[in-house]
Amino acid sequence: MSGSDRHLPETIYTPESRLRQPKQLWRDMWRDLLASRDLAWRLMVRDISAQYRQSFLGIFWAFVPPIVAATGLTLASNAKVLNIGATDIPYPAYVMFSMALWQTFVEALNGPIQAVMAAKPMLARINFPREAIILSQVGQVFFNFGIKLILIAALFLIFQIPLSWTVVLAPVALIHLVMLGTAIGLILAPLGALYEDVSRGLTLATSAWLFLTPVIYPPPQTGLFAQLVRWNPVTPLLVAVRELSTSGMISEPGQFGFASFLAIVGLLCSWMIYRIAMPLVIERISA
Amino acid sequence: MMSPRESLPPPDDRDTVLVVQNVSKKFCRSLKRSLFYGLQDIATELMGRHQPDPQLRYNEFWALKGVSLTLKRGEALGLIGVNGSGKTTLLRIISGLIKPDTGMVRVRGKIAPLIALGAGFSPILTGRENIYANMSILGLSTKQIEARFDQVVEFAEIGEAIDAPVYSYSSGMAARLGFSCAIHTDPEILLIDEVLAVGDIRFLARCHRRLHQLREQGTAFVLVSHNPQAILSMCQQAVYLQKGMMCMVGETEAVMAQYEEDLFLAGARKESNVLYLSPKPAEESTGLDVTSICFKDPQGNVLQTLISGEPAVLCVTMQAHQAMSQVNLRLSFLEMGKDGQTALYLGGSNDKETFQVTPGLYELQVELPYLGLAPGAYMLRVDVRREALFILEMIEAFSFTVQSNGRMSKSIFYQPRSWRLLPQTTATTSRRATDVSP
Repeated sequence: MSGSDRHLPETIYTPESRLRQPKQLWRDMWRDLLASRDLAWRLMVRDISAQYRQSFLGIFWAFVPPIVAATGLTLASNAKVLNIGATDIPYPAYVMFSMALWQTFVEALNGPIQAVMAAKPMLARINFPREAIILSQVGQVFFNFGIKLILIAALFLIFQIPLSWTVVLAPVALIHLVMLGTAIGLILAPLGALYEDVSRGLTLATSAWLFLTPVIYPPPQTGLFAQLVRWNPVTPLLVAVRELSTSGMISEPGQFGFASFLAIVGLLCSWMIYRIAMPLVIERISA
Repeated sequence: MMSPRESLPPPDDRDTVLVVQNVSKKFCRSLKRSLFYGLQDIATELMGRHQPDPQLRYNEFWALKGVSLTLKRGEALGLIGVNGSGKTTLLRIISGLIKPDTGMVRVRGKIAPLIALGAGFSPILTGRENIYANMSILGLSTKQIEARFDQVVEFAEIGEAIDAPVYSYSSGMAARLGFSCAIHTDPEILLIDEVLAVGDIRFLARCHRRLHQLREQGTAFVLVSHNPQAILSMCQQAVYLQKGMMCMVGETEAVMAQYEEDLFLAGARKESNVLYLSPKPAEESTGLDVTSICFKDPQGNVLQTLISGEPAVLCVTMQAHQAMSQVNLRLSFLEMGKDGQTALYLGGSNDKETFQVTPGLYELQVELPYLGLAPGAYMLRVDVRREALFILEMIEAFSFTVQSNGRMSKSIFYQPRSWRLLPQTTATTSRRATDVSP
């Protein structure tokens, strides 16, 4: 297949830090991102079909957690065990919708670490664009959200919640939410491949984080807690998806803009860090 | 992926596909420290710093040091060395998996590693789905996979099972599928690390044929194997690595000879075609040690050169430390350079030649009235056993060459013969006469 007159791409490996040639680095990153689309798609199809082929109940598992959480919380709230303020949509729908969004964020957050862990043997042996496993994971996050969307649509029908026309903009906020999760996960992924502490710590951190995010309660307005919730970058993004679908108004556009900026710039930075760190990590995790 | 810097000035020689220049790599012996160094390295890298002359940190060692080599289109290079000498590390640096600590690697074209066969195989998915996933990982687009799909399946001899999940495959089938995927990626450089041991002998033959075909199309190979024959048969050039250092580079046969001498002849030396093995310490001895091997002529003089068709006596001297019965020798003559198959096998047990020894020095003589081996380079493996299984000694390093007697062309072995011309007898003449006449 190799004709002698064919121009062959040349690759050079040196010990020099690639940050020395940032232009080249970004060009390579872009090239690899494009090159990894095919592979990412394959990996995603592989993972999803393997997952569903080994499951009897299939997509049922995507619905259950938010339903269980919503039922429990609604019961607790009705029994006045929990004191939750008034929400602009019926509480069960509020919890389920928010829970689905929160889960999507958590999946995006855990995705890169899980992807790197699962692909360790492959990473240690074959030099394929490292972006592919991340893209595949992000694809799976959206796939799972797509399934949850069925549940959300059902909720809107059952509780007869009016949709705002701005719902067409909701995906933008959702993408920013996933970007934020992926950005954080991507920085942690190389470390997570070295030290198991990272994934354990992350589990702990996400459960604490949930309480700082208006998922099971409406955004508080006053006090220190309200400030913490306000400055949690997940809050404006998650709230924005909810507001764009229902009320049609983003209540805190400034915060939303800031969080979106953080998500986009953060993702670019963490992508670069991931790329630079991976060969050094692979060296240490030798299959 | 690692810092690929494309479109640099092309190397002088258009045919050069791989240049490795003064590459070194350090590794760490302690896992905990290694992970910590990993963090340190990431931090250094992210700050854009680079040490031009890296020093070993505590507990580190050079897994590779100052390795340089070049490879051209259609060439095959063997990497030889004991376990842990850095062969696989070198392959991993060449394939861009890990960064060198010093030096530079320049690769032109695509590299396919035959290192991780079936990487990314999911046991739950069917063979078909796995081919797509696996070949994608190896860098092919969907279109390219579709074009090769039938070839891959046919080569792997999977047949109907292609739509069955891979967990239902035998280990041989999975390995064949993995090999087939990897070998159909049409790379410019193929890195082969000890994988030519998959499948049965028939599949192995197909693999070799396919590799041969790729060679002819100009694919360059880097081959790592512990099987000297695989390297001898495929590579013209070899690099001998010892503790990460290049200890010898050159013609495969010479490098291999050096390697085998180092490996098997710890404490042995060869003098005027006699292989002397130094006496073993008592705790290593199994009760009978071979002390020397050589060929002699029927008069008892050591033969300097062996000639096809001439008589020769193989002499093996042995020191017995205890009384033993049923001692027998197995002699395998391996032909170097070709397929490395056994050219001749002489089994003492097959010939019903077993001996009884009491402590003392013996010389076993195997008389070959006509040396049947064709001219070429051979290696003799001497295997001394008690009964069928108990191996007393195994010596794998006696190499020798056989020269032509000038009457051996077009033959693969020497056939002792004598020619005679006999005058026609009257009896046959008269019968012919009767045959012809009605």
